[in-house]
Amino acid sequence: MKRWRGFTWLLGAMLLGLAFQARGAVAQHAGHGDHRQGFERSVQRYEVPEVILLSQDREEVRLDELVGSGRPVLVDFIFATCTTICPVLSAGFSNLQKELGDDAGRVRLISITIDPEHDTPEVMKRYLERYRARPGWDFFTADRASIERVMRAFDAYVPDKMSHRPLIFLRAPGDEQWVRLLGFLSTRELMAEVRGLLEP
Amino acid sequence: MSRAGLRGVLALTVLAPLIGAAAQRPAHAAGAGGRTEAEVLRLGERMYRRGILPSGEPMTGVVQGDVPVDGTMFSCQSCHLRSGVGSIEGTVITLPTNAGWLFQPFRGARMTETARARLPAHLRREQIRPAYTVESLARVLRTGVDPAGRTLGPQMPRYALDDDDMAVLVHYLEHLSAAPSPGVTDDTIRFATVVGAGASATERSAMLLPLRAHVAAANTQTRQQERRAASGPFYKEEKYTAYRRLELSVWELRGPPETWRSQLEAYYRDRPVFALLGGVTGGPWWPIHAFCEANRIPALFPITDLPVVSASDWYTLYFSKGRFQEGEAVARYLRSRPDPGSGPAAGRPVVQVYRDDPEGRALAEGFRATWAAFGRPAPVERVLGVEDAPDAGFWRRLADTHPRAVLLLWLRGRDLPGLEAIADRDEAGPPRVFLSGPLLGDDRSAVPDAVRRFTLLTHPFSLPGEKPRAELVTRRWLESRGIPVADARIQSQMYLLGWMLSGVIKKMRHDLYRDYFLDVMDMMRDQYYSVAAYPRLSFGPGQRYASKGCYLVELGPGPKPELIRRAGWVIQ
Repeated sequence: MKRWRGFTWLLGAMLLGLAFQARGAVAQHAGHGDHRQGFERSVQRYEVPEVILLSQDREEVRLDELVGSGRPVLVDFIFATCTTICPVLSAGFSNLQKELGDDAGRVRLISITIDPEHDTPEVMKRYLERYRARPGWDFFTADRASIERVMRAFDAYVPDKMSHRPLIFLRAPGDEQWVRLLGFLSTRELMAEVRGLLEP
Repeated sequence: MSRAGLRGVLALTVLAPLIGAAAQRPAHAAGAGGRTEAEVLRLGERMYRRGILPSGEPMTGVVQGDVPVDGTMFSCQSCHLRSGVGSIEGTVITLPTNAGWLFQPFRGARMTETARARLPAHLRREQIRPAYTVESLARVLRTGVDPAGRTLGPQMPRYALDDDDMAVLVHYLEHLSAAPSPGVTDDTIRFATVVGAGASATERSAMLLPLRAHVAAANTQTRQQERRAASGPFYKEEKYTAYRRLELSVWELRGPPETWRSQLEAYYRDRPVFALLGGVTGGPWWPIHAFCEANRIPALFPITDLPVVSASDWYTLYFSKGRFQEGEAVARYLRSRPDPGSGPAAGRPVVQVYRDDPEGRALAEGFRATWAAFGRPAPVERVLGVEDAPDAGFWRRLADTHPRAVLLLWLRGRDLPGLEAIADRDEAGPPRVFLSGPLLGDDRSAVPDAVRRFTLLTHPFSLPGEKPRAELVTRRWLESRGIPVADARIQSQMYLLGWMLSGVIKKMRHDLYRDYFLDVMDMMRDQYYSVAAYPRLSFGPGQRYASKGCYLVELGPGPKPELIRRAGWVIQ
């Protein structure tokens, strides 16, 4: 009996140790305790679907035509009531436009909502105003099926908005390959990527 | 999930009582500029929630090393949420900033000193950081360096705050979620549900029986929660000691709605509750909404077609905007879709006909407000008085006066006799007609066959047969609890409420604060399998109407017409 009690105690302690380790790993990966500043960069091919999206100005556009319009494009997936990921991504887009200055109009920034039930064009318009978006940055919605089709095409599908990831996709005009950035970037890092698209 | 472990601590709650108690005391916050404590808390709350400095200017900071941000973009609340207990989104965890967590040492798990002492030394984790002080909190907000010398992730803004503004914000954080919420005791969380005298017996039992069954299920002790809380293994203290029994009071309201507020106040004084669940009045909901807003009491999923529609109110989470949402959906539909019969509907005049009652007014207001937001001219309004009894002559005159109009007839079946008179119009062609499906109820046969081909009904629920699996799950659950199927929609709504409530309470663990209750609700996943009544319910900080769309259906022929879907779930 005593031995069993000792074993249970040991097992409990081991599990606790594992739990602490796992907890530490989560915090290191993502929390404010994160000391890394990195992001993952990869080059991918995506088949952009021919879906109709609705902009913050209630203009309907075809996504494949939008991304093939002869300008470098950046695409991200966000939603207006997002807690941490989208504010940082959108502040990044805002500052990128500011840093690009006169070149801002040469780069097309495309934000696509993953919460189409809530993010109406009016909500999206207010969102862009909050982030002081300049011409060239548009926010799009669609019916849920179309949104999910786009997410799947970019290998960014999540079954629920609360499990989404910080992703930015970039492509130079005429290029078939996309640069996929997973994580949060500084403006310096994002500018380096965008300059590469502007000056191939 | 290790949320509670990361957050570490027992803490806090609702600010209202604190503000009340503190109102007349001078603030001790250094540099608070001679303001009263209530004023400092108000200004601090504005900084935390809206990112606005006491001067009225936005707070400014930097994320990711070189990305400037300001309070117009997002605020502390955007990520740490209203309660301050933090958020989880994908792999990104935003740590708590509420008083109980900040001002205690952080060890990574909530464990008593006694339990910790029983661990072998090498597992006895030392503190990750000491408790914050006013000074070290100011330092971390400015530089991102915590009292242990760790550097916070770059997603946390480094705020440029002067000493006076910093004192205001820190003072607010010292009070944020810092005292237990009313309605929570050592072993119980108290809830109440409101039943108004206007509710039918069917509505009452369809709401109440499932709710009671959920509470009973939470209290069954099938997992021996109370024994585990008292003597469970020490390394699971954090999980087990959070368990509380649930208690549900029924607050019966009588008399006119203007008197409900004082009845609610009396119930609350007698036995304070943590939150309201469900509820049905058979009439308006605004008195309960106002009571909850004023006292910062969450109210989850009342059964009402007349919710208060507000972009800023916080404490009541509704299933939908009710009748308002139907009017809104018709405006959206007309705005975005060409009318197949006779060119763009947008160019046709719109006439709203409704009775001067709460439901008619809500439907008309939903359309009017949305149509105005689209920059469209105001619709013609025809309000029927009690003496008005529409007949064929009435409808013919209306169609003659407004040829080719879009008619929004927010009326019940008894107001539709003679409506076929608008169909027989060779030169002008028939108008386009919209009706409220829920307002018609089972009286769909009152819509004359002759007008059905150019008439659409709002249907803000799942279509018949759309969700057989969810219907079956709800029915089986009711059967297993001996509850007869009565009003399937209300029972489906209450089944969903209980389903979500158990998840929310589990996720809250020890942080039993009202604001956190809503914060956790806001972070819940979209619901579709667990609710038969709606295609989808979705949530998010500040989103207070979970179902956001509406179908438009045509009626098939005959006395029991089939609903034929003519527009998808209208959401934009």
